[in-house]
Amino acid sequence: MNPMIPLIAAIPLLAATLLALVGKWIPDAAADIVGMVAAAVPAVLAGIVLTRTVGRILSYWFGGWRPRAGDFPVAIGWAVDRFGAGFAFLVLILLTSALVYSWRYMEADRYLYVVLMLAFGAAMAAFVLSGDIFNMFVFFELMSVAAFALTAYKVEETSPLQGSFNFAVVNTIGAFLVLFGIALLYGRTGALNLAEIGVRLTNDGRHDGLVIAAFAFITCGFLVKAACVPFHFWLADAHATAPAPVCLLFSGVMVEVGFFAIARIYWTVFDGVLGEFQHPIRDVLLGVGVVTAITGAVMCGLQRHVKRLLAYSTIAHAGCFLIGLALLDPSALGGAAVYVIAHAFAKGSLFLVGGILLMTRGGIDELLLHGLGKRLYVAAAAWFIATLALASPPFLGTYTGHALIEDSASKLGYWWVPIVLAFATIGSTAAIFRAGLRIFIGAGAGDDPILSQQPSESPPPEEDPELGIMSAVTLLLAVAGLLCGAWTGLATRAVEAAHTFTDRLGYAAAVLDHRVPPPPAPETWHTTTSSIVWAVVTLVGSLTIGFGSVYRNRWPESMTRALDTAYGPIRAIHSGHVGDYVAWLAFGTAVIGGLFAVTIR
Amino acid sequence: MSVLPYLLAVFVFLVGLYGIVSSRNLIHIAVCVSVCQSGTYILLLAIGYKTHGTAPIFGDIPSSRKVVDPVVQSLTLTDIVVAVAVSALILAFALKAYEHEGTLDPHEIVEMKG
Repeated sequence: MNPMIPLIAAIPLLAATLLALVGKWIPDAAADIVGMVAAAVPAVLAGIVLTRTVGRILSYWFGGWRPRAGDFPVAIGWAVDRFGAGFAFLVLILLTSALVYSWRYMEADRYLYVVLMLAFGAAMAAFVLSGDIFNMFVFFELMSVAAFALTAYKVEETSPLQGSFNFAVVNTIGAFLVLFGIALLYGRTGALNLAEIGVRLTNDGRHDGLVIAAFAFITCGFLVKAACVPFHFWLADAHATAPAPVCLLFSGVMVEVGFFAIARIYWTVFDGVLGEFQHPIRDVLLGVGVVTAITGAVMCGLQRHVKRLLAYSTIAHAGCFLIGLALLDPSALGGAAVYVIAHAFAKGSLFLVGGILLMTRGGIDELLLHGLGKRLYVAAAAWFIATLALASPPFLGTYTGHALIEDSASKLGYWWVPIVLAFATIGSTAAIFRAGLRIFIGAGAGDDPILSQQPSESPPPEEDPELGIMSAVTLLLAVAGLLCGAWTGLATRAVEAAHTFTDRLGYAAAVLDHRVPPPPAPETWHTTTSSIVWAVVTLVGSLTIGFGSVYRNRWPESMTRALDTAYGPIRAIHSGHVGDYVAWLAFGTAVIGGLFAVTIR
Repeated sequence: MSVLPYLLAVFVFLVGLYGIVSSRNLIHIAVCVSVCQSGTYILLLAIGYKTHGTAPIFGDIPSSRKVVDPVVQSLTLTDIVVAVAVSALILAFALKAYEHEGTLDPHEIVEMKG
């Protein structure tokens, strides 16, 4: 028994409850400090737990109901492996950064904001540590509800309500899909513990309609949270509406929680019974990933609202994460994990720069901010460092993740994967670079007819901004995002952790029989020539296209008009109407579920 | 055990989805989300149902009586608690939208697209 494990989520949840009770009577600064401490202490605990998970899976049974080896697990158990602990660590680091950044960012009643942030972060941490499928669902819903409320935090101002409303409706329907899947699994196995469900499904051996339906519902439900096409529409609306430090958590970890859930449930529950159908599952998920990566990259290039632009860039990267996961290969999964870390820091930093722009320059529109960021030196440095990190330059930023995914894809015969990753990276990073050039350098034209006009966002209160602290956090995150690509030890450890993560029998033995799983074979880092070539391609491509699109006014007019016409349909699909989003959700679930039903036989 | 409750669960869920897709009123959408959720309740309860089973409360029945599965009932209760929070938030958003825009039509509150 390791009492540190539940404290990771219990401390922020208890602090949130207390703060909600007494927050009205204590000064805002005190609420801020409580929030930071309640996020930083569990972050340290998660770090300590992380160091103890080397080659082991730690379990914690609530109420001391630890089942004897081989017995049916009656109680709710958490099972913490390296990925789970590492993810919780990342969540809490980002939560702490977001709360430090928000020191003076939020308006009156700030304690409510801190309460929601703590609940949001604690729910995500608990979700990734849990080993019980219904327990996961409950924390998933807690996380979602806190996220809906955070999106609408500035609701008193006339910021678009469309964002929070669409977010809430679409994600709630997604959660129902997950619940359908959980109910079907319970109906078949009578168990809610992931390891026990996996054992029973495998012993049962049937891969009939019920198992396929459960798999399809759970996958599609979590793909809604993971913002994959055609479930992605809510994400851009929500990010454009939510405050910048909230976006840091949305893009950095909340979307990735969806992927974590799919990976966790696939490798603990379905890997046995659907193991012989890896090929069709891989192909379907790869297809979704490719469409997501391309759609995100294309839409990203059409935005002038900075936070919406960054949101579409997250969709492009989400497609790449899904490709890394869909290969169903430990090495690619480890690659996706380091990719997620680098992306979380870099993208988070970019959102925080967006918050600084909104606060000091009163706007978030790239064209209206043209040249207005010239004197924000630290923010500008953070912006360009984070852009560089996302461009996947050799040995920096997202490079290690890209390289691992690409290598494992070519080993499996998917030679085209590097092209898709490069397209998504170039498309999204070029747009980010373009916005940076316009805002911080004042380069190029102040107008671009291709970009979509969006309503302006009202800035947070301006009096006495703590710009120093905000800039420092932003710059730190950007540098962390750039440097974690240079740390090859992180990549090799992630691949080792992925071997433990994808070992269904080892997980079941650790949870149900309290046996220590076999330690993964030590990994070494090999740099392949092709990965460096692709890294140079994405870097040069991002910078060239970003630079070129600042000067769109010098392009031939026929070309601009042709581009605008070509973008018409994809633009029209993103209608902003919640009914359309839910129709797409139903359509996507039918298609993905149908493909599984046809191919898994 | 008949297949009817399962079909009903799917039917209710799809009715709710149709309502959301075709709705022109934000409060109506909130109700439709609840209808969808009712589909999940029916599914959960159908899974735990046993023919001639009674409520799993052993205070006043002999422990040999056949009872329905209590686990899914507690899952349903948890689900209902979640639904309350979600409905409250969606309705609050609808209210704020009405205060700001003077309309409950989801087409009218769309400000961001493309």
